[in-house]
Amino acid sequence: MSNSISNSNNTSAKNAGNAKTNILENIVGYSEGVERKRAREKTGSDFSQEKWKTSNDIAKLHPKRLQLKVAEVIQDTPSTKTFRLVSTGAILPPFQAGQYINLYVNINGVETARPYAISSCPTHRADPENGYYDLTVKLVDGGFVTNYLLHNVEVGQQFSATSPMGTFYHNPLFHGDKLVFLAGGSGGAPARAMIESVLNRGLKIDFHLIYGNSYENDVIFEDTFRELAEKHDNFHLTEVISRPTEGYSGRTGHLNAELITDVIGSVEGKTFYVCGPTPFNEFCEDQLTSLGVQGKHIRIECNGPPKTPSCLENWPSVVSEQDEVRVKVQGKGEFIAKVGEPLLNSLERNGYTVENACRSGECSLCRVKVIEGEVFNPPEARLRKSDETFGWTHSCVAFPTTDIEILY
Amino acid sequence: MSEFDAIVIGAGNGGLTAAAALQRGGAKTLLLERHNIPGGCATSFVRGEFEFEVALHQLSGLGTEDKPFIMRKVFNELGVMDKVEFVQEGELYRMIVVDEFDITLPASWSGIRNTLIENFPQEEEGVVGFMELCEQVTMESFMGLPQARKMNSEKMLNTNCKNYVKYGLRDAKSVLDEFFDDEQIKTLLAAYWCYLGMPPKDCNFCDLAVMLYAYGVFKPWHIKGGSQALSSALLESFLEAGGEVRFNCSVDAITTDQSGEKPKVTGVVTENGDSISCSQIISNASSVVTFGDLLDTPVLPSGISQDFKSRDLGTSAFCLYLGIDCTPEKLGIKNASTFISNTMDEELMHDTMSTMNPPVATMLTCYNVDDPSFAPPGKSQLSLLCLQYGSVWEDVPVEDYAETKYHFAEHLIEQAEQVFPGIRDHIEEVEVATPLTMMRYLNTPGGAIYGFQQNPEDGPLHRERYDQVSGLHLAGSWQGMGGFQPTYMVGVSTAKAVLKKVRQNKTTQESEAEVANV
Repeated sequence: MSNSISNSNNTSAKNAGNAKTNILENIVGYSEGVERKRAREKTGSDFSQEKWKTSNDIAKLHPKRLQLKVAEVIQDTPSTKTFRLVSTGAILPPFQAGQYINLYVNINGVETARPYAISSCPTHRADPENGYYDLTVKLVDGGFVTNYLLHNVEVGQQFSATSPMGTFYHNPLFHGDKLVFLAGGSGGAPARAMIESVLNRGLKIDFHLIYGNSYENDVIFEDTFRELAEKHDNFHLTEVISRPTEGYSGRTGHLNAELITDVIGSVEGKTFYVCGPTPFNEFCEDQLTSLGVQGKHIRIECNGPPKTPSCLENWPSVVSEQDEVRVKVQGKGEFIAKVGEPLLNSLERNGYTVENACRSGECSLCRVKVIEGEVFNPPEARLRKSDETFGWTHSCVAFPTTDIEILY
Repeated sequence: MSEFDAIVIGAGNGGLTAAAALQRGGAKTLLLERHNIPGGCATSFVRGEFEFEVALHQLSGLGTEDKPFIMRKVFNELGVMDKVEFVQEGELYRMIVVDEFDITLPASWSGIRNTLIENFPQEEEGVVGFMELCEQVTMESFMGLPQARKMNSEKMLNTNCKNYVKYGLRDAKSVLDEFFDDEQIKTLLAAYWCYLGMPPKDCNFCDLAVMLYAYGVFKPWHIKGGSQALSSALLESFLEAGGEVRFNCSVDAITTDQSGEKPKVTGVVTENGDSISCSQIISNASSVVTFGDLLDTPVLPSGISQDFKSRDLGTSAFCLYLGIDCTPEKLGIKNASTFISNTMDEELMHDTMSTMNPPVATMLTCYNVDDPSFAPPGKSQLSLLCLQYGSVWEDVPVEDYAETKYHFAEHLIEQAEQVFPGIRDHIEEVEVATPLTMMRYLNTPGGAIYGFQQNPEDGPLHRERYDQVSGLHLAGSWQGMGGFQPTYMVGVSTAKAVLKKVRQNKTTQESEAEVANV
């Protein structure tokens, strides 16, 4: 035996029932306890009927990985395709409309991933044969992954992904029942999921979508939104085009305070969802704030690492984004990285696999510890207080500003 | 030769303290954790401007600098005392039973006595006697009882542990009934049963007595930056000592050599298919997962099976984490811990835990009361928690899960708003954790947060430590009590036992090598 506590424990239990040697029987209630324990041994279960029950139960809601196959590719607009993904494994887990999955891809030998909002309604996931998630992907200029997805992916291709994640969804505990969604471009994807989820479930929610796009011929889900607005009294659609063709008769310009007020009237008692490119999100937030909307009523979907971190406050002035630094991964190797590239991306480019999901600083799956050197953490990095104390960072939005050594 | 002297599975409280103690004690240790962050329960998450404390309500066993208690020594030995800052709470708790009473117990043994006598003057004699008993039973259970057991001396037991002998293993309710007539004071003094998970009728008096005395004398504490700060500090200490950790790396199997009488640990297989050899494993996973799922023997070792059959899964919890856009004072919250109840019937409270009925008892914790840094200036974080068994949630169809959890969360807000109206209007962020969330992050059957149920016959006097697999040890709440202090301590004590084996092995190997050299 390893120590005195276990020794005496053993003595007591093995001698239970032998009144001469087990001193514990002197304790009021001890012998009754021994009896109760014996009785339970006769009737109880040893939990062995269902091996891995805990893991299997969790996997119904939150499997670590999904195995997906492209069942259909739909060209939505000149710049956008929807990939209808079915499971090649277990039934797809449920999600809250607005959430995303992180899709793993291998492009020319680089293992990376990108998060995409599920654009279909959660009710479409459950069918064991045909249940699906739609991912709607709009081409990003120079985008490594969107270019690959839009130009190379065909029906039948297989992917793995995380299960649905994220905090951008309607939370009935405090979002209320008057919702306004300000969407820009690809922001139409989570908007469709949220709108269809409200309408399909018959919720008593008033939903207004203000949808800003650059061009009339590039509006994702245009017909779907118009049909739904036609059919449902509690769904309202306002389309706005910022670069209209001559003769366009609809609303034009940006989603500014004036337009918002004109369309929805008072902002009182309403919750606003904002999803689009980062400049769009920042603009909308400013406009809503100028209208007196409190921060807690503005829910903004995170949208990747900052494109030009050197423009942000506290960026070390002596370092430029084009500079190169040495990244050493403890026990694994080292490589040269560009200061202006998020650490996670340069790790992946050099063959290192780091768990990740939101790639926007929020989910913390890509935590690494900086043992030596400095990284720049932008405001996107939702670090814990103790992360700063002990040098942990979220690699998806961290920029190495000196040679560094990391551990993960 | 094994790659590691020891492998620790799981970086919860028991795993972290075990790993730090092992590595600092000279054993080459590998720590494996399924999640991306250390801590298990002792963790936090960020939403908006808030970093939410997940699980620590009141840390016990620390004592003050003037009057230190065991956890200061433990944390010192683990090398984390200078890495974290502890914040003392001013009160044990405020308990409000709607339409019955509203009393706050201060974090002071004499203060508790005075408060009780002031509120229940007719019970003065009972108060004095009861508190004296709590103190004696606590002392005896820490001092006299282990000595008497070690010597196996009936005389020592009967002389040095007479209060324990008479009261220690009785159910808490019967002892309260013996000292008091007033139902209110009994309910007030039994409030901490929620830290054990079993109502006073079904828990050992000594467990309640120890908690009351320890919190009263050694005070309840928080950690600056939350329990995550301590988890991260323990990891740091482990790394500083040369330990190796892998996150996002769960264990699929514990492998054994089954040629002898007893299976003997040979290593683990990780989710990536890596086989790593070692002769000592400390598992911070639940006993059910460790032996039932991970261990590679074809059937459960018989002693384990017998123990499991006499066990029931303990409670899980439903918890709301609220980021509030005002100070606690504005809502009328004056204490870190407030127990809100609509009944004094603890058995009704416990029965409700097995249902989806609105909870009749809720624990509200506001860390900002004693530490404003727990939220941005002018704001605060609250948690609302009710104990609930996981089995009711396992039956909810997955497509109804989100709706069900919001619906249930409404009940907690409603119950808290009876006492602190206006909470809902101040919500800036909210996250809901159900027993299935506990199951997801803790990987415990039923989402149990305190391990197996703690009936009177489930305490350390009635249970053996598992030794059916040579080299496999458990550290966590599944072989003893749940909660922070017990799991931190069991990690250290298990590591100490393992260190002895590691040193023995090394000595044996060295002498064998010498023999070979000769």
